[in-house]
Amino acid sequence: MLKTLLSTLATTVLLVGTVSADTVRIALIDPLTGPMAAAGQSALDHLNFHARTINANGGINGDKIEIVGMDNKVNPQESLVQFQKAVDDGIRYVTQGMGSSVGSALLTAVNKHNARNPGKEVLYLNMAAVDPAFTNERCSFWHFRFDAHVDMKMNAMTSWIEGRDDIKKVYLINQDYSFGRAVAEAATRMLKEKRPDIEIVGQDFHPLAKVKDFTPYVSKIQSSGADAVITGNWGQDITLLVKAAADYGVDLPFLTYYGAMAGVVTQVGEAGVDRIYQVNEYYGDFDDPDMASQQVAMYEQTGWDYYWLRLSTMLDMLQKAAEKAGSTDPVQVAFAMEGLGVETPTGKVLMRKEDHQMQLPLFISVLKDDMKYGAEGTDFNFHKIAEISRDQVSLPTTCKMRRPDNA
Amino acid sequence: MSLRVSPWRALAPWLISLLVLLVIPMLVSGNGTFSIINLIAINIVFALSYNMLLGQGGMLSFGHAVFFGLGAYGAIHGMNLIGDAGYDGQGFWAHFPVYLLPLVGFATGALAALLVGWPFCRRAGTAFAMITLGLGELVAAGSQMFPTVFGGEAGVFSNRMVGPVWFGLELAQPADVYWFSAFWVLLAVFAMWAFTRTPLGRLSNAVRDNAERLQFIGYPPRNLRFLVFIAAGGFAGLGGGMAAVNYEIVTPESLGLLTSGLALLMAAVGGLGVFYGPIVGAILVTVMNSLLSDYTDASILYVGLVFLAVVMFAPSGLGGGIEQVRQAWRRGDLAAHLPGWLGGALAVVLIALGLVGTIELVYQLSHGRDKLAQVLGLQPDPSSPLVWLGVVALFAAGFGVARASKNYREARS
Repeated sequence: MLKTLLSTLATTVLLVGTVSADTVRIALIDPLTGPMAAAGQSALDHLNFHARTINANGGINGDKIEIVGMDNKVNPQESLVQFQKAVDDGIRYVTQGMGSSVGSALLTAVNKHNARNPGKEVLYLNMAAVDPAFTNERCSFWHFRFDAHVDMKMNAMTSWIEGRDDIKKVYLINQDYSFGRAVAEAATRMLKEKRPDIEIVGQDFHPLAKVKDFTPYVSKIQSSGADAVITGNWGQDITLLVKAAADYGVDLPFLTYYGAMAGVVTQVGEAGVDRIYQVNEYYGDFDDPDMASQQVAMYEQTGWDYYWLRLSTMLDMLQKAAEKAGSTDPVQVAFAMEGLGVETPTGKVLMRKEDHQMQLPLFISVLKDDMKYGAEGTDFNFHKIAEISRDQVSLPTTCKMRRPDNA
Repeated sequence: MSLRVSPWRALAPWLISLLVLLVIPMLVSGNGTFSIINLIAINIVFALSYNMLLGQGGMLSFGHAVFFGLGAYGAIHGMNLIGDAGYDGQGFWAHFPVYLLPLVGFATGALAALLVGWPFCRRAGTAFAMITLGLGELVAAGSQMFPTVFGGEAGVFSNRMVGPVWFGLELAQPADVYWFSAFWVLLAVFAMWAFTRTPLGRLSNAVRDNAERLQFIGYPPRNLRFLVFIAAGGFAGLGGGMAAVNYEIVTPESLGLLTSGLALLMAAVGGLGVFYGPIVGAILVTVMNSLLSDYTDASILYVGLVFLAVVMFAPSGLGGGIEQVRQAWRRGDLAAHLPGWLGGALAVVLIALGLVGTIELVYQLSHGRDKLAQVLGLQPDPSSPLVWLGVVALFAAGFGVARASKNYREARS
């Protein structure tokens, strides 16, 4: 009796499943609550925003994109629970970016799942977990990274520092986990190579998402006599760091990875002008008219800036790859994605076949006042001061990709 | 209870449990459901091991997760050793099946308790609670300093599909892990129940009730507490070992205060005084934790409210309530008590509904619509006074029924 009831229920669920089969569902597994929520929520809204655009233009091979937000509280174990939920739900694409610690857990989970469930493969579209290992010694066919990894960004940043003779003493402050350590390591190594005269006068690692007051760190930076700070901080860790520096009156350039992340501009405002630099594929001039109109529309609809340019690129590439493969099956899409190139508002990008690492130009920008398109409803935004071309950013890989047999 | 019960009577709960465990996979399908059931199994072992300390030994611990987490780390490193040994097929680990890893967890947990426990067990009560709180924080903070052992923020991950496979019992899907979880949860629960029947288990109750008198009759309370502490650490480690196999990842969070708090929560909600209380608590809390968050943003608040309500109004927990009903049934006066109890239960349900309604409406006002309302098929509009009137009516009905049933119970007794 109970069994019949349950099997009827199961059939109903299955039927519902087939009805929604003409949507391509992408699970975003990222922090949607807690201290890092702004990072996850802005990404979720950006994905939804761009998915609406794609859906309005015919979708992916006629199928609609649907983004499913799943909260992982930046906890690797919780992410695996959410991943299992997504898989049970029949979702075949997952995306994640906040935290290489989570990315690492997810990468292994996806690899294991795909090995154990042939025919139900899942692709991991990595939008911001930038531990270089993911596209080097730990590279996987099921993983595609749409962001420049730590070493590439540091490569760009140090290329720019090379020409700045006024920077002689550098302070490194980073989050205490694989990503932060990778930033510090890359900075030390590449500065030594390109500017052996630069001295690293101090180095700090602080716990991820736990520091509420950065004043002690800022006072250490102040007394170290540094004339520039390099940080890979993101989420509340970058917001609170630059805010503490502004409050403390530290007038040093902050060379950041994520200075334009939601919240920073509002928190520092005037005090950040000519002081906060970022290396990113995005900058705030919006010199491309199409991107400018997107910025205006997105801010109106969601209240977030068009910061996650690479998320738009990611969905565009997914659509292109599916079109090329003539299918939305993850395995076919993965093969089609290899070596794929698309035009973005900031230049042409390529998904390198050897390691599934996106090759893209990067930009150094600095916070300025009276910008045409202000960030977060202010007049401040990041003004492009240098472009590092795709070839200059690119780094070799040690990846030995193992591919499934392409049926 | 001094009567000897017949062997069949004593066996019945175990046979029923076994039957339930065998029937579950025929009724449910979908890896998501099995994932939750596996988590329940882990939490049952964890909560029961915690109750060995608090409920039976009278030791309030805020650091029990240390042994759970260390057991998990022990098991996951064991799993990695099995994986590494698989290449050349040599040595001890090459012949060690993943199925038995909870034993490694048990050994790690017990060893950790053995190493640190002696100074803790001099006193129970506040001193013990404070020291274990310190231990928990110490280990959680210290784990970040040894990334090779604890894996840093990312934790240690592994692959459970390695090593020898017995009887074709592979561990690929959550549904496969179910048999693993079922086996170990039954074994662990039986072992912990058997522990309560040993002289040591009986003496641990005596330590809880009157340590001084025990000292006089020649049993040093410290030794007894220490032995119970080691056993509880071992079983917590066993639970950790199950978690390591289930998740294939262990993160430093599993050592921290939140995990310790979860053990206390489950044991207290289920009831400390009854052996099966923590089992009930583990099932309820796990289900609430994993499912409620899909429907409402206020899920953590609800778990907290349940804890609060149990501590304030039903200190003997859900298990205590079940036990009360069972005793009445045995005495044969269940029929006399039942209307009063049912009335009380109805009052609780009504007040709870009123409370849920209030919380959801307030949430809607501040955060926009929640999914819970849609699941219940209601689309209440928080701006309409009728909805609020309904909530007030629920509260009023709840308190009315509570009062009436109380009067009824008092009139009967």
